[in-house]
Amino acid sequence: MRHRHRNRHGQKLGGNSCCLYYAQDGRQYVVASAPEVGILKSLGIVENAVIQKKLTYRMGGPVLLKVDSSEIAIGKDFAEKIEVRG
Amino acid sequence: MASCHDVHEDAAVYHKTNKILLMGNPNVGKSVFFSQLTGLQVMSSNYAGTTVTYTEGTMELGGRRYTLIDVPGTYSLDAVSEAEAVAVRFMESSPLAVVCVLDSTNLERNIKLGLELQRFNVPIIYALNLVDVAQRHGVQIDAVQLAQELGAPVVPTVAVKGEGFDRLRQELEKVVSQPGFKPNFPAQIGDQWQLAKQIAARVRNSVSGELSFFDRLGSAVLQPWPGIPIALAVTLASLGVIVQGGKTLEGILLILVENALVPFFATLFSSFIPEGVLLNVLIGEYGIFVISFEWIVALILPYVFMFYVVFSFLEDSGFLPRLSVLFDGIMRKLGVQGGSVITIMMGYGCAVPAIIGSRTATTRKERLIISTVVCFGVPCISQTGALISLFASFSPILLVLMLLLSLVVMAAVALILSRLLKGDVDPMVIEIPNLLMPNGKAYLKKLMLRMRNFALDAEGPMLIAIVIAAVVKETGLLNFVAGYLEPLVSSWLGLPREAVMALILGVVRREMAVAPLLAIEGLTALQAFVGGTVAFLYLPCLSVFGILAKEFNAKVAVAIGLSTAVSAFIVAGVINQVAQLVM
Repeated sequence: MRHRHRNRHGQKLGGNSCCLYYAQDGRQYVVASAPEVGILKSLGIVENAVIQKKLTYRMGGPVLLKVDSSEIAIGKDFAEKIEVRG
Repeated sequence: MASCHDVHEDAAVYHKTNKILLMGNPNVGKSVFFSQLTGLQVMSSNYAGTTVTYTEGTMELGGRRYTLIDVPGTYSLDAVSEAEAVAVRFMESSPLAVVCVLDSTNLERNIKLGLELQRFNVPIIYALNLVDVAQRHGVQIDAVQLAQELGAPVVPTVAVKGEGFDRLRQELEKVVSQPGFKPNFPAQIGDQWQLAKQIAARVRNSVSGELSFFDRLGSAVLQPWPGIPIALAVTLASLGVIVQGGKTLEGILLILVENALVPFFATLFSSFIPEGVLLNVLIGEYGIFVISFEWIVALILPYVFMFYVVFSFLEDSGFLPRLSVLFDGIMRKLGVQGGSVITIMMGYGCAVPAIIGSRTATTRKERLIISTVVCFGVPCISQTGALISLFASFSPILLVLMLLLSLVVMAAVALILSRLLKGDVDPMVIEIPNLLMPNGKAYLKKLMLRMRNFALDAEGPMLIAIVIAAVVKETGLLNFVAGYLEPLVSSWLGLPREAVMALILGVVRREMAVAPLLAIEGLTALQAFVGGTVAFLYLPCLSVFGILAKEFNAKVAVAIGLSTAVSAFIVAGVINQVAQLVM
């Protein structure tokens, strides 16, 4: 999985910044970059936003986040494009 | 047809002078406000997308009548989406006042929209909703301070329980009774997101709260364990309630129909109409006054009613978005996303609202896939009711097999189309609403509205089908057509000649492709299943055909119709031939 991830995104895991999908569950992160998508912006998933990653669903499922006080689920393909700092 | 589900934009509404707008984020309980404030029948839902279009109602304040408009829920007013564009248009159409519903459990984002609304310089009353849920989560909001921060009245409410509406009405009346009232909002400095967060932090206090059973259930359902078992249990329980409730109602209604209604009309008509074709058309075996009662009243209506009893409850409770999250992984592998689970479930009621509901899909490709999946693999509740009756005299295994077939067809259609069609399907982004006990008033209104829609939408085509049935059967036309279709029906599908009636009527409505099979005596279990399979896959009904042509185009409607019909004969025929070989 780790290998595939690095190939697809050309990024190392465990560094300063990694994509939200592979980030550890149950921790707080700061968004480093997020795709320019209206709905993500509206829900507050923008650069420098503080988010809590609660859960990653298996088998290509979404990630569950807490942004401010609301719970938001984001599909894998978006979650892979959101970069977060630990 | 399907007129009640139609969505049309009435430009005149923008020019009305006595407008009050109801605005807010999606899932804040806005529709419950609407039904509480107007007392009109209205759809209210807990999940994003139901209010793609606005709802309009009359509201009385201090003896005067105003038009209350339930504007589509939006997260912002950037006009990036269709709903946001509509919301902006409404704000610019000089309304008298705005009721902005704020969700106390998601304060930051709700305050941000509340601040955005202020740039239009229209008086705003803020309704701070879900204060009870927030309190249980250990959050208390200082409404007085929030009112100071926002420079406008803030009324705490618990919409589902009807709390806070008296004060909301008073505040609203104060504003609208002063012509030319101008709001006095504080100047906004800096980024609205930051400002919203600062305000939220200032007005929010921690209190000790105790989560309710529903709150804990809401979190539990989101975890794969125990979420998936709970989701399956709820689905099975829903199915059980629909089937058992439907059967019970069916039993009661059948007694009424067979012992009272049909004999009454039989006696009435035979008293002044001589025996012959006309009398048979009216009260013969396929007589209009026989099958319209037996099929519609006794067989179809109970299941439609029970479906909406259960579905509306699940919808208003906030359960469905959780299903979307749990099943997103699977749906993604099929080429769609978790949000489409809701649309597909809606299709188990009727395909027409499901196809309209698919507007929430962000790309045309996704919309097309979901609509086609619903047309192919999702039997509507009328048809399900008829199938349940058909299989009842055999074994419940047939029903389970049909369900499996439905799942396989859905998966196959989604997989094929997602590879065939050009374009993309956007990943799921879904906000999870609180799990709540639905509001009784809003729930009952919604149920009534849905039953009324069903009656209005389905009645016409059903009566057409029944009149065709009576005429075709009693005039001998059936035997004539059956002669031509003999090879297909008898040799390939292994069905008796009378089953041709199902093919003729199935063009009009889906359950009518099943109902004639009920009247055939001596049907084997295999014949029932094959007949059921043809019916299940056969043409979408006339209303669905119409909505496909309208929402997409005639080409799409014809393509879906042709491919479902062809696959119906292929799949059912193969099932028959294989079963014959094995048995």
